[in-house]
Amino acid sequence: MSIAKASGFEALEKLMSTEPPVFLAPSSISEVARTASRYLFEKLKPFNPKSPFDQLLVDGFDAEQIWQQIDLQCQPLLSSLRQDVKRFAQNPKEIRKLGNLALKVSHEDDDVDEMDMDDDELEATESEGDEEEEGDEEEEEEDDVEEDEEEKSGDHEGIEDKFFKIKELEEFLEEGEAEEYGLDYKNKKGVAKRKKQNLRDDDDDEEDEDEEEDDDEFGAFAGGDDEEADKLGKARYDDFFGGKKKETKMKLKDLSEDDEAELENQGDVKLSTHEKDRIKLQSKIEQMEKANLDPKHWTMQGEITAAKRPKNSALEVDLDFEHNTRPAPVITEEVTASLEDLIKSRIIEARFDDVQRAPSMPTKAKREAKEMDDSKSKKGLAEVYEDEYVRQANPAFAPTTFSDELKKEASILFKRLCLKLDSLSHFHFTPKPVIEEMSIQTNVPAIAMEEVAPVAVSDAAMLAPEEIFSGKGDIKDESELTQEERKRRRAKKKRKFKAESAKDPVKKARDDTTENPKTGIFLCSYMTFRLLRVFEIRK
Amino acid sequence: LQSPFSSMFPSKPFPKTLIRHQHQTSSFIASPTLKHSRKIKMLRRNIRLRKEYLYRKNLEGDERVQYEKKMKIREALQEGKPIPTELRNEEARLRQEIDLEDQNTAVPRSHIDDEYANATENDPKILLTTSRNPSAPLIRFTKELKFAFPNSQRINRGSQVISEIIETARSHDFTDVILVHEHRGVPDGLIISHLPFGPTAYFGLLNVVTRHDISTKKAIGKMPEQYPHLIFNNFTTQMGQRVANVLKHVFPAPKVDARRIVTFSNESDYISFRNHVYDKGEGGPKSIELKEVGPRFELRLYQVKLGTVEQNEAETEWVIRPYMNTAKKRKFIGE
Repeated sequence: MSIAKASGFEALEKLMSTEPPVFLAPSSISEVARTASRYLFEKLKPFNPKSPFDQLLVDGFDAEQIWQQIDLQCQPLLSSLRQDVKRFAQNPKEIRKLGNLALKVSHEDDDVDEMDMDDDELEATESEGDEEEEGDEEEEEEDDVEEDEEEKSGDHEGIEDKFFKIKELEEFLEEGEAEEYGLDYKNKKGVAKRKKQNLRDDDDDEEDEDEEEDDDEFGAFAGGDDEEADKLGKARYDDFFGGKKKETKMKLKDLSEDDEAELENQGDVKLSTHEKDRIKLQSKIEQMEKANLDPKHWTMQGEITAAKRPKNSALEVDLDFEHNTRPAPVITEEVTASLEDLIKSRIIEARFDDVQRAPSMPTKAKREAKEMDDSKSKKGLAEVYEDEYVRQANPAFAPTTFSDELKKEASILFKRLCLKLDSLSHFHFTPKPVIEEMSIQTNVPAIAMEEVAPVAVSDAAMLAPEEIFSGKGDIKDESELTQEERKRRRAKKKRKFKAESAKDPVKKARDDTTENPKTGIFLCSYMTFRLLRVFEIRK
Repeated sequence: LQSPFSSMFPSKPFPKTLIRHQHQTSSFIASPTLKHSRKIKMLRRNIRLRKEYLYRKNLEGDERVQYEKKMKIREALQEGKPIPTELRNEEARLRQEIDLEDQNTAVPRSHIDDEYANATENDPKILLTTSRNPSAPLIRFTKELKFAFPNSQRINRGSQVISEIIETARSHDFTDVILVHEHRGVPDGLIISHLPFGPTAYFGLLNVVTRHDISTKKAIGKMPEQYPHLIFNNFTTQMGQRVANVLKHVFPAPKVDARRIVTFSNESDYISFRNHVYDKGEGGPKSIELKEVGPRFELRLYQVKLGTVEQNEAETEWVIRPYMNTAKKRKFIGE
């Protein structure tokens, strides 16, 4: 364990002592870096009981995976750190207690390395935390942490040590701030450039990612970055386009790890084609990135009012839109002429699309066209006059003329039709016209209708009640009569019979045969029947 | 009962604004209850008529189906082919109906026919008016339109509500109401609404040239108010026929020898309106001298509704869809 620790510590030392450019070279220092990271990881393990890894797995893993492991372990640490820091900010006295504890621990442990490591660990964790925040999040976090640490400056005797001085820490952090913020409000480019540089460096060399976690390495790294960032951050137009030679110098410094030659003056030494290509590419990239960062051209900005774009700029732009509708027709001479030709041709053909009136029903009947008969009239003139006179005098006895007959026939037909229609419509019921004829009326309905419509049946043809019985008063059946009633009826009957018989004998005396034809007939008939019977018997 | 509408034709001078009924001092309308009940009756009558119209429109679907079936049977009988199996059950009944049909009843009646059923019997009576607060050029244009459409009358809009205008027009037996809209003096909208529940066609106006624009009153001379002959060019689709119908029934039936011509010519869904007067030229029977008279404009149909203007919930028969990707390729009125 101690060997491992020692090796780990040595690795750290070694890393710290290497030059920054060496980090960019692949595989030269990676083993060392791995051991150092593993060592640090072990140290941090006790602070994070929940971490899933017992040790950093480094063999056969690539940078991304190592980074993930570290990240996984450090994330909970950060939050606890923040809480601690806040707590310390509120109660400065607690720090001393902690410091005492730390000292105690350090005294107990004889291993100087261990103590150093503890401090280193603290430092590492704190600045690692800082670094993480810087690397991952925005600078506000850093500000907070730095502020807290600045507040604690006076009271930090417990923690401070020959290795670790709060003030140094603060200074370091301020420098970092100054790098990032000093130019920030004036020139965002600087910050972005620096960040891009960081990223670029990462892209160039994968191992750098796990190295970023290490505090000391970062310190060294940051130093290197400081120089470059300063130069880039304070770069001006002149540096790039002023024709001065610093530009190429700076760029080449980034790129030229592979290249052997130290290039001070561009003109003196020939560049290989590859280098020239790379220079061109880099310049292109620079330009594109610059364009991306600049505020966009007004044509690409979406909705623009006239106030937001430069004056008369819309005139210079060539706008082209695809319209989905057919444009309105422009009425030119030709159009008008063609229309007029069309109209003329239609007029000549007399082919119009007018509204057609529907033919209306005639309101008056057609006048009767009287047909004149050409043949000579058969009647003499005297007869014609005679007929006229008769018609005038007695219209009833006049013979009917042809037209009269026709009229009669027509009216009969029409009445028949009307009757049928009325019976169909049930609208106005008109019964059959009553033709006065002598006929025996029986008390039976004239028609037995099978149809549902009872309206067509009339009982006008039946005998009226008065015709059946024209009696007065209360009508009683024989069984309903009382004794007095019966007597009354019998007496009435007798009186009647007597009155009639009183007449009869008088009549009989006068004439035997013709007086009473009915009885005479009856007698004769009776006699004949008797005689016949006699004759029959005789036969 | 004297209301301003009855005084329109022909003798009395037309009052400047549509006076509401309430302001009329007339001895006939004595009690408010009587007037109120008459209003209710009119309202109920309108409701009933509209229900009938909707019911008949509803039946059209069934009628159409029956018509199709009869067509199939008729064809089968003519060609001597066996009757399709799905019609076997109803075949006897349908055949009986076919025998009883005549050319009038054979064709299925649609609500469109109903809308213009009475149009052919009487001359159309048109009410012209504008949107609210019309500008002077719009009023001038409306006056010109009054001369262009025969048998029409213009009224001031004032502050009347559309529903009021339509109601009074219906009760006074107007057949059409035409509204004209504008944009800063330039007329840009025309709404033709056929009155007893008829269809409403909404047009946009473009390239308007009014008679006033061309020259002064004296120079341009008078315009004959004869009933004109009509020309409809390139209204080939069903929608085109419908629009042509709407425009046609705004005009009365002319005499055969009328010298005035109104042209509606369709080109890629833009309808040109032209108003000409013609004379036989000197060069023989085939030469015609045309003189353009009256306003000229392009109409662009954007909506047809199966109801009058005031009925917001009326069904839209057709509406323009300019935002479709294929809008450029499609032509709805002609070709």
